[in-house]
Amino acid sequence: MAEPLMQSPLSAFDLGVQARAIDDSRGVWASEIPLLAYISLRGDAGDAAFVEKVVSVIGMPLPVAPCTFAASNGVTALWMSPDEWMIVCRRERLSELTSGLKSILQGIRSQVADNSGGYTQVSLQGRNALDVLQHASVYDFAALQPGRVVGTTFGKSSVYAYRADNGFRLIMRRSFADYIWRYLVRAAAPYGLGIAAIEATGHAGQGVAE
Amino acid sequence: MSHRVKHSGARVDFDRPLAFSFDGKSYGGYAGDTLASALLANGVRMLGRSFKYGRPRGIVGAGPEEPNALTQVETGAATIPNLKATQVELYDGLIARRTTGWPTLDFDLKSLCGPFSRFMPAGFYYKTFQNRTLWPRFEHIIRQAAGYGSAPEEADADTYDHRHRHAEVVVVGGGACGLLAALDAGRAGLQVILFDEQNEMGGWLLSSPNTVIGGEPAAQWLKTIIAELRSLPNVEMLTRTSAFALHDMNLIVAVEQLQDHLPLAERSETKPRQRLHRVRADRIILASGAIERPLVFGNNDLPGILTASALTTYLNRYGVGVGKRVVLQTSNDYAYQGACDLANSGCSVVLVDTRMRPNTAWEQRAHVAGVDVRPGYGVAAAQGGRAVKGVKLVKLDADRNVMSGEGPTVECDAVGSSGGLSPTVHLYCHDGGRPYWDEEKLAFVVSATGRAAAGIYCVGSITGTFGLQAALAQTQQTVGEVIASFGKAPAQETRKIETDEPEATPARRIFRVPDGKAEGHGQKAFVDFQNDVSAADIHLAIRENYRSIEHIKRYTALGFGTDQGKLSNVNGFAIAADALSKSIPEVGTTTYRPAYSPVTFGTLAGPHEGDTFEPRRYTAMHASHVARGAVFENVGQWLRPQYFLKPGEDQEAAIRRECVATRRSVGLMDASTLGKIDIQGKNVREFLNRVYANAWTQLAPGKCRYGLMLDENGMVMDDGVTACISDEHFVMTTTTGGAARVMSWLENWHQTEWPDLDVYMTSVTDHWATAAVVGPKSRQVLEKLCSDIDLSPGSFKFMDWREGTVAGVPARVFRISFSGELAFEVNVDASYGHHVWEALMEAGAEFGITPYGTDAMHLLRAEKGFIIVGQDTDGSMTPFDLDMAWAVSMKKPFSFIGKRSFARSDTAGPNRKQLVGLLTDDPSVVLAEGAQIIERPDASLPVAMLGHVTSSYFSPELNRSIAMAVVRDGIQRRSDDSRKAGRDVLFAYSRGTTHKVKVVSPVFVDPKGERQNG
Repeated sequence: MAEPLMQSPLSAFDLGVQARAIDDSRGVWASEIPLLAYISLRGDAGDAAFVEKVVSVIGMPLPVAPCTFAASNGVTALWMSPDEWMIVCRRERLSELTSGLKSILQGIRSQVADNSGGYTQVSLQGRNALDVLQHASVYDFAALQPGRVVGTTFGKSSVYAYRADNGFRLIMRRSFADYIWRYLVRAAAPYGLGIAAIEATGHAGQGVAE
Repeated sequence: MSHRVKHSGARVDFDRPLAFSFDGKSYGGYAGDTLASALLANGVRMLGRSFKYGRPRGIVGAGPEEPNALTQVETGAATIPNLKATQVELYDGLIARRTTGWPTLDFDLKSLCGPFSRFMPAGFYYKTFQNRTLWPRFEHIIRQAAGYGSAPEEADADTYDHRHRHAEVVVVGGGACGLLAALDAGRAGLQVILFDEQNEMGGWLLSSPNTVIGGEPAAQWLKTIIAELRSLPNVEMLTRTSAFALHDMNLIVAVEQLQDHLPLAERSETKPRQRLHRVRADRIILASGAIERPLVFGNNDLPGILTASALTTYLNRYGVGVGKRVVLQTSNDYAYQGACDLANSGCSVVLVDTRMRPNTAWEQRAHVAGVDVRPGYGVAAAQGGRAVKGVKLVKLDADRNVMSGEGPTVECDAVGSSGGLSPTVHLYCHDGGRPYWDEEKLAFVVSATGRAAAGIYCVGSITGTFGLQAALAQTQQTVGEVIASFGKAPAQETRKIETDEPEATPARRIFRVPDGKAEGHGQKAFVDFQNDVSAADIHLAIRENYRSIEHIKRYTALGFGTDQGKLSNVNGFAIAADALSKSIPEVGTTTYRPAYSPVTFGTLAGPHEGDTFEPRRYTAMHASHVARGAVFENVGQWLRPQYFLKPGEDQEAAIRRECVATRRSVGLMDASTLGKIDIQGKNVREFLNRVYANAWTQLAPGKCRYGLMLDENGMVMDDGVTACISDEHFVMTTTTGGAARVMSWLENWHQTEWPDLDVYMTSVTDHWATAAVVGPKSRQVLEKLCSDIDLSPGSFKFMDWREGTVAGVPARVFRISFSGELAFEVNVDASYGHHVWEALMEAGAEFGITPYGTDAMHLLRAEKGFIIVGQDTDGSMTPFDLDMAWAVSMKKPFSFIGKRSFARSDTAGPNRKQLVGLLTDDPSVVLAEGAQIIERPDASLPVAMLGHVTSSYFSPELNRSIAMAVVRDGIQRRSDDSRKAGRDVLFAYSRGTTHKVKVVSPVFVDPKGERQNG
């Protein structure tokens, strides 16, 4: 039997092969940031005990203001709805954070669910990144402030989006990733699309589990 | 003969000649020409034949109002039908042809009907083609004779896209007022988008470069203002962009032509041909101007008769003199500037002013230019065959629009007529605004600030402010209010912009020029050219008692065409008002609907075509399925393998092979698409008790249970297996198509009805990849990959689940079955889905493991009588109707959704359709799904319909056909029911054939469940 090999939702596009360093030759640079860990967290933002205990695990304040996110020490916590957050981190920290949250929230009205297989994200950069988003979504991305995250339409699907690395980060569900990527490629075509090399996370879209 | 008048004010570049072809002939033009201006410059007058009478027709207008010059541009995949020649920008190599005139332009079959035109009155279609059997035969001939372009037959090679925008101010129309509005708003720091449908900004000023504005010629004034607008980073100007709709909440929709003006070879393949802009605007400033309407007179459709403004535009903007001897007819001042310009260009110009006393200042300027002004006359009828050759004038009564005397005949080769200006109020009216009739301006106008509360402002001609100086002042004033509404102040003090216009003199209230004859007895006088609607047709409609203008429109086809009545509507309303002896406001207008001018389907579809037409959802195992020859079907946007084709197989053989392998050895199915909802909290059991019909209080950790979810009416809406992970943690599965609906259904009940329940739920559908290992050998396959779960029948029972490791990956394994076989569903993080699938295939190779698709899945479950919600149920089936009382617990302390409805008289009563199995007398007959169940073999009407077949297959296991059906009182009819009393024999009818069937239990295979429990 082969070693367990992970495949990211966009692995079929072989983006790693096309990846190169970002330069001025293209208006849009995109790439998948594959195989991160996604933890769905639900609870009552008004419950001080809940918030306090979550903070003790994720090591930063839980963003309770609507449409905000916080990032620190490799963990990103995104506000999804008044009682829902998405905790994103590297896979290595998945079990530590999941079990940490589960055990500390014992007895407190909450939910912790590993959703890592269900999501991926795409980094969108370049001078025309904003144009591409406006081809795909009704949301006014020009007005999206740093530190804010919005869940909105993307073609006939949806994404969560926030500003990151001189561009945007889009979080999407696994099963819709193919559609969203194709839509993005189509929208970016007039501006020239490059596949950006992502240094820190590796780019194969495949990986061996720890 | 060339009609080119080369002058420096023209907006064409005489240094850049272009070649094009029209109807197979080659012509020359210049950069900046439209197809219309180039054709006129080449002396092409007749471009087509009219819709009903086959009369010769030529160009009438210079923009979107053009009714006649519909052309087919380009060929093959790039062809576009019915483009108005007035809106087609000329490029080198353009190929166009006419769209009317059949069989040839010179000989149009319909023109033979001319003498018989009294047999083709208004409502001709309604009156003639009442015979429905004959209509299809006539239709082809009539459609061909009527003309119009051909839709492309090849796939569109171009791409289109959509662009969402947000702006503080959107200005529609880049004429003098629109430009000034954008400038003032832009200077005040507002974020502005300015749309104009033409190839350059300027509007009417492009046609009137000699007008003095702000102390300089219009051309110079334009240059300055456009340069400043370009310098403002907060102002975006889009030319070739037609704002064609205004929807609720200030959503402006516009189409931008990105490449249509370029030669085919220069068009970029990576760029879209057209772009749809959808703009949410805080404020909208409509500066959409006005379109000149012609006067209605006899033979007014002869080629060479244009609107006065179009004649002027061709001369000034395009350097084209349509004629040498021009007659202009007007009811107002607006034609005078054009008359002077035409005379100055060397034409002989007779200006027929229907007014007794023209504007003296204009009259003087006209005399200086050499124009022969004839006040108090009108053109009763034009003369000519395929081009206008002269006009017959009549003397008009000073007060009433009747003839007071004969007038001379004037020879000419071009006629321009002006019956006044009709404001372009369309966008204002798309979302509920209405124009009002201004009797002084003789126009339907809108108010500048009447809809300011909604953020819609109007400036310039659209408000009936036709004078340039007054319009600019009004623009400054109105935009000042717009700026103030943002809490800002204008950047600088507004200063008056002077123009050289004389004080205006009122227009004559005239629409139809009299010819001394009763309507219908003189020469045909057309109101709507594209649909051949004459003034007499409107009178006829009214004689036939059509009273509402909406009905008159539909009966006569007034304003129906691709020009949407831009020239004809107001004349039609006015003529109808006269005939009805009503005022124009009493008659009102027809409804203005989007689109203002035609938009291609490609633009509307935009990116929603090809592989981005609709989301296609893929499971983690997709590549594995493709590699094994899967044929996919769409299920709730998911692509699921329907069956796997091996070389030489057809669909039926593949399904049979998959079923047999699964029942005899082992099959593998991708069940990842089922909805999965993770539910946690102290009250999960109670929550499940309320949303499912059955009880969940006792389900122990490590166990699973099947549940039916009901709607408020007690009808089955979804089903699935839910597993107890721990006392406070459950995972629910839903149907593939019902996942999103169930998720919001649960959230809705929790948030609105039972917020007190301590429970949270999250969709984990995409997180889990699920491989169902199914069949007698499934345990042996799994044993090879899983060492930390005791898979033995004694410890891992049917409806148990265990956590462990499969193929080296953490997994949840559920011993559940949708086939009636021993089966294990392996759930792993979807990132490992492909890996685990391939590991199972490898491990099962020695048993001939066979991947199977949804077709085999449907067949296998039907053999066991398992329902598919939505196929065997239709929103009217209770659990009892499905003979699934075992899945309902009436004893739960708190009610569950749907329980109350069981007590409704109809739900509790007899005669309900119930799910049963059917066996045909002839085992080889597979009933049609949807076949009606009847009592007698004779299907002659009337016949009682007892139900219908919901699922039907040929079962390889039983080597005979099986079916499921819903039948009235079906359960009591079953052969195994003691009450059947001979009622178990029924008939299934479909498409003329009746088959005898026996009503049986729907569980055809392994009724005791020994296989799945083994």
